[in-house]
Amino acid sequence: MIAQTLMDGLIAGSMIGLGAIGITLTYSILRFANFAHGDLISWSAYFALSISTLLGTLAPGLATSVAPFSFGWSLPIGLAASIVLTALLALAVDWLLFARLRRRGGAIIILVMAGFGAALALRSFLEFLFTSKPYYFTDALQIAHPLAGGARATADQLLALGLAVVLVALVHLILTRTAAGRAMRAVSENQALAGLAGIDVARTIRLVWMFGAALAAVAGVMTGLLVQIRPHMGLDLLLPLFAAAILGGIGSVPGAMLAGLIVGIAEALCVQFVGAEWRAAVSFVILVAILLLRPQGLFGKAAA
Amino acid sequence: MTVVPALQTKALVAGYERDLPIVRGVDLSVQPGELVAILGPNGAGKSTLVKAIAGTVPTFGGTVLLGGKDITAVPLHKRIGEGLAFVPQTENIFANLTIAENLHLAADVLAKALRPARLKKINAMFPDLAARPHLRAGLLSGGQRQMLALARALIVEPHVLILDEPSAGLSPKIVGSVFTMLKEINKSGVTLVLVEQNVRAALAIADRGVILVEGELRHDGRASTLMHDPLLAELYLGAQPARGAA
Repeated sequence: MIAQTLMDGLIAGSMIGLGAIGITLTYSILRFANFAHGDLISWSAYFALSISTLLGTLAPGLATSVAPFSFGWSLPIGLAASIVLTALLALAVDWLLFARLRRRGGAIIILVMAGFGAALALRSFLEFLFTSKPYYFTDALQIAHPLAGGARATADQLLALGLAVVLVALVHLILTRTAAGRAMRAVSENQALAGLAGIDVARTIRLVWMFGAALAAVAGVMTGLLVQIRPHMGLDLLLPLFAAAILGGIGSVPGAMLAGLIVGIAEALCVQFVGAEWRAAVSFVILVAILLLRPQGLFGKAAA
Repeated sequence: MTVVPALQTKALVAGYERDLPIVRGVDLSVQPGELVAILGPNGAGKSTLVKAIAGTVPTFGGTVLLGGKDITAVPLHKRIGEGLAFVPQTENIFANLTIAENLHLAADVLAKALRPARLKKINAMFPDLAARPHLRAGLLSGGQRQMLALARALIVEPHVLILDEPSAGLSPKIVGSVFTMLKEINKSGVTLVLVEQNVRAALAIADRGVILVEGELRHDGRASTLMHDPLLAELYLGAQPARGAA
């Protein structure tokens, strides 16, 4: 029983972790909490849904399930297209809103409020286009395979978990071993000095938006695959995402993923032992506790 | 034959607000290979002048020329590629990055083929830094930070290197070694512009000194002359007149 709860928590937590990485990257570079990040997750799921449905209609063979998964090739293609489209959407929101406010020297609170506005607009537009009716990538039933300790998981769930682990490792390597990653970390620490060092700060900021959006796309599509697709799916994830980003320590990619897993497992344990109606409160309790006890998070550095 | 100045400003006006410029019409000319110290009382606009040249403070009038090329409108991140390096007074290293990452970051602007040789050269020049590549730069002492900031700037082999108060916050012993290093860098052919409160130390290594007062360039002369001019020392530099001076 407990092994299954942990497995459920790990799977949900891995998606929270992917979303939290986007929030932590944006926050560490632009210094504001982007409340529209959850809606990028929702939009990514609808992008993938639209493209995979279109592909399935044009070439029905692409929609046929590829064992052991519940989906056909139309979904990975839809995911790849969704990554690009979500990145473009994030860049468009930045260009239309946040970049203009930054140029005007807008205070952090203005950027945060703008983020709220963008989130509302994105969500409402999604609801206008697709209604609030839930959608599913597939209606195929999957058998959960037995794993160690009595836990069970479907191939889709294991894929989501594996994908999250690979992506975190990849992002961590990019940040620590490549010129683009060094530039992102430099810009996050000191934009003026980064400029003096020859780093194009505006380009680096665009790169961060694209990175965060790409990870949001994977989280959105996999959440849509494992649960369902709704315009409010990103909003429902927002509190866990922020809890994970803050618990992990702002700016820390491994921290965000580990914290995502902790939040996911805590939610699963709460559902199991306290009651499903308290699930949403778990992230809030974690958020408040970490802010009171260790505001810099698990891997963050204390303010000087 | 006329020598093109390595760095020149013409009627440069700069500051943080257009209506309240801090630098007011400065004409500065630095010859290739020269070491020029920019001196003056607190609030004279020395740091603002070099920041405007480097591109971190907006200019509202005049021009900045590097090797005769107008770079006034060149974006901040492209100035290093033009051969201009600037070491700010504070926050001049990336404290959360390791020593090696700081150096690699600086080398990233170079062509890939050039990077290994430049890093090797800098590591040979700064053995203390090379010995601890994986140490987080934020853990370095003040003097070591200044060395890392210098190393970062030198990787690109700039034509002109500007330093804003390199002695700030350092012990006298460390200041001595930093200034010795600066003189060596200058001797290797790099044109150096130095903003400094430590007047004597700066003039001791400089070829020329310029004195900025209230955002305007008031005096320009040989370092040795300025050093022994009691009136200038008393009026502008806050320095004790040299022993034996009239």
